[in-house]
Amino acid sequence: MIRIGFGKPLLVTLLLLLPVVLDSYTVHVAILIMLFAIVAVGLSLVMGFGGQVNLAQAAFFGTGAYVSALLSTTYGWNPWLAAPAAVLATCVVALAVAVPALRVQSHYLGIVSLGLAVAFSSLLSNSDLTGGASGISKIPPLVFPGLDLSGGRDYYYLVAIALILVVGFALFVANTTLGRRFKAMRDDVLAAAASGIEIRYYRLMAFLLAGLVGGVAGVLYAHNARYVSPDTFGLGVMFLLLAMVIIGGQDSIWGAVVGAVLLITARNLLTGVQTYQQLVYGGLIVATVVFAPRGLAGAASDLRRRFDLPWPSIATPWKARAVSPAPTRLKVVRPSPEGVALRVASVSKRFKGLQALDGVSLEASAGEIHGVIGPNGSGKTTLFNVISGIYRPSGGRVFVWGRDVTGERSFRMSRLGVARTFQNLRLFRQLTVLENVMVALDRDPAHAHIRYLIAPWIVVRNEAERRGRALRLLKDFDLHEVADELAVNLSYGRQRRLEIARALAAEPTILLLDEPAAGLNAAEQEGLKAMIRNIRDAGVTVIVIEHNMNLVMNVCERLTVFGHGKVIAAGTPREVAANPVVIEAYLGQDAPEAQAAL
Amino acid sequence: MIYFLQTLVGGLGMGAVYALVAMGFSIVYRTMGLVNFAHADVVMIGAFLAATLFVTMHLPFAVAITLAVLLTAVIGLGMERVLRPLESKDLNLMLIGTIGFGIMLQSVAIVIWGSFGIAVPTPIPNVPIDVGGVIVTTYQLLVLAVSGIVMLLLYLFLDRTKLGTAMQAAAMDRSAATAMGVNVSTSNAIAFAIGSAIAAVAGALVGPLLYVNPTLGVYVGIKGFAAAILGGFGSIPGAIVGGLIFGLIEAFAAGPLSAYSELLTFVVFALAMMVRQTGIFGERTVDRA
Repeated sequence: MIRIGFGKPLLVTLLLLLPVVLDSYTVHVAILIMLFAIVAVGLSLVMGFGGQVNLAQAAFFGTGAYVSALLSTTYGWNPWLAAPAAVLATCVVALAVAVPALRVQSHYLGIVSLGLAVAFSSLLSNSDLTGGASGISKIPPLVFPGLDLSGGRDYYYLVAIALILVVGFALFVANTTLGRRFKAMRDDVLAAAASGIEIRYYRLMAFLLAGLVGGVAGVLYAHNARYVSPDTFGLGVMFLLLAMVIIGGQDSIWGAVVGAVLLITARNLLTGVQTYQQLVYGGLIVATVVFAPRGLAGAASDLRRRFDLPWPSIATPWKARAVSPAPTRLKVVRPSPEGVALRVASVSKRFKGLQALDGVSLEASAGEIHGVIGPNGSGKTTLFNVISGIYRPSGGRVFVWGRDVTGERSFRMSRLGVARTFQNLRLFRQLTVLENVMVALDRDPAHAHIRYLIAPWIVVRNEAERRGRALRLLKDFDLHEVADELAVNLSYGRQRRLEIARALAAEPTILLLDEPAAGLNAAEQEGLKAMIRNIRDAGVTVIVIEHNMNLVMNVCERLTVFGHGKVIAAGTPREVAANPVVIEAYLGQDAPEAQAAL
Repeated sequence: MIYFLQTLVGGLGMGAVYALVAMGFSIVYRTMGLVNFAHADVVMIGAFLAATLFVTMHLPFAVAITLAVLLTAVIGLGMERVLRPLESKDLNLMLIGTIGFGIMLQSVAIVIWGSFGIAVPTPIPNVPIDVGGVIVTTYQLLVLAVSGIVMLLLYLFLDRTKLGTAMQAAAMDRSAATAMGVNVSTSNAIAFAIGSAIAAVAGALVGPLLYVNPTLGVYVGIKGFAAAILGGFGSIPGAIVGGLIFGLIEAFAAGPLSAYSELLTFVVFALAMMVRQTGIFGERTVDRA
């Protein structure tokens, strides 16, 4: 399913033929470009895909270079042994930098990683071990019988092969389940967790990949230049890398490569006016974020969309293809056909001074459509957040199919069969409609990603199979025609439908819908009623928060009524509608009139 | 004990500077929710401007500071204007935009002043005063006094003036503030200008303590930034406390462990962030579903 096309082999051939026509200086520049391209690809993975503002990428590059240099000089290791050890060390450092990312994000993470990068530079310049400002020289070259790897054409091939492998692997990651999970957590961390993604693991993973790739480039750099000094891995280089990735297009592997080619070439053309270089790439960063936020790759893909060109596909790697006809019914297995699907037992939730939930109990039987109603601010959404693991309750317990799941985290709840939608739509905005569904449909546990290394063909096979299932699901929801559109570009009604489709893709046994009818027109509301009934008929227990009385009274079999964080009534719609407490609290003073409306 | 007190006093001077830098970050963050990564380099530009006006053009120190403040305020206005299309759209993109500005400012400094820098003499005779065995210099006292006055003025502006209140309203809820007649873009521009102006004060004050050069921003600015976060981002008292803490950590780490002082400082910072993400004075916010 991953298209090779003719573009990539052509590029590879060109890359391998290039040294034939280049003089030795240009070969040297080309090596540098390729090394930076490798580091930039790492930054693109962690920042563009994973959404982790990592300003320590140059330090990863430096760690690889310095560790390999130190081991092969001071400690006298064979370079071929020092190299993998250095890559490993870089991975460890990357994981250490990632630890703060488990708690802090965005600008906090930016400053933490920047601070650690500054600390790294200062350590290199001040420590005796690393030779201080003068660095480490006389690093032995990599020796291979029959090849001259001391920095000429043969080294070019070594680096070129590394680049091809890194780009190939990065593209593979970017276009399959792992990359999709990265992008999902980047676009909306709550929705990603609710779709079964263990956020902490993927943040570590994103840093690990960045470190791995940075370490490889660092090692290759050290044994080519044969000399390392702190300047090569300082903040100036970090900002250069950032410029490459931003200008090329953050969430594009090709963008990072193109950015590296452009900026290193420009840097070499402008060696005479070094100070103006910085001015130029600083300016380019500003211009890019203001005028072309998705960089060159984004601009290219916009052009492609506008003119409907088939190639090159840079930013949107998947193209919809027809799938073989297959049954379109949802298949959901219920753990037990009878009994209580969801039981909430006197749950409380307190935020500082506010008692949002106060001893709330609720029971939904298997296969029921259960409505939760009540005025705004009465605690309905808080209850959903407690059930789906976003909040930990201050008191009480939650049971799913009889199992105590109190305090389980969001991704665990998804895996235990509880899916949800959000009141204010939380789609993965920069993912396509198809990808949104595939994120939720993919139930691989995190450790299954080891397949990327040991059994990549299984990743490819699963991808094809999931794609087929996702397209069938989209067809059920009449969204197949926009499968390749970015979610953010859909109409409001379709976005609502997509969110429900995404929730169902996780094959839940219990579905929580938070105001699904909000903002829908009359026809769409009718559609929604039928959809909710179909979902239930497929075996899913549905709990729905809704203000739309028409929908609540017609679709729900049982209702729970909230008022000020407490359950004030429960029963069938008819019973609830006749309950004077409800009429008083929920419908206000004009009781008879309101009752008539029901 | 004397050693301890001496180190403590030594740390206070730089701590006050970090606190000023932190306040510059905080006011921009507090009014527009943006983290201005270029702030560190505005500090550096402010230091160069003040140094040039004071050392090269022989203007009185007070005049030099004032002019530097005005010029950097203009730089702040310019940055805000360019990044305005991204406001309230994409925080990470805007953050990267400010990094771009930082890179530009640094190279502008190298183009104008060269990469070597300027040594700035203290504007008043730097007399050591002996307080019970602990040496305090007059310039340290001046730094503390000026920082204190700027902090007080900023606090009064934000909490006691109508404009200050309006700016804070704009930060809390952009659309609600607009509906109440607050011009959010103007408010953001003012925040940027004030933030940059305070940066210049910090830069001017730090000049005689350090050597003014284009990488000044990296060391003073990043620590000031970290101080703002440590204190609780957006909180003015937090900025002060965070700044002083950084000054002190640095002073105590400088003696025996100087090679590892930066590493130590930022590792302590990273750990502190993990323990309490919202900093010392920050409020915990709930990510609403």
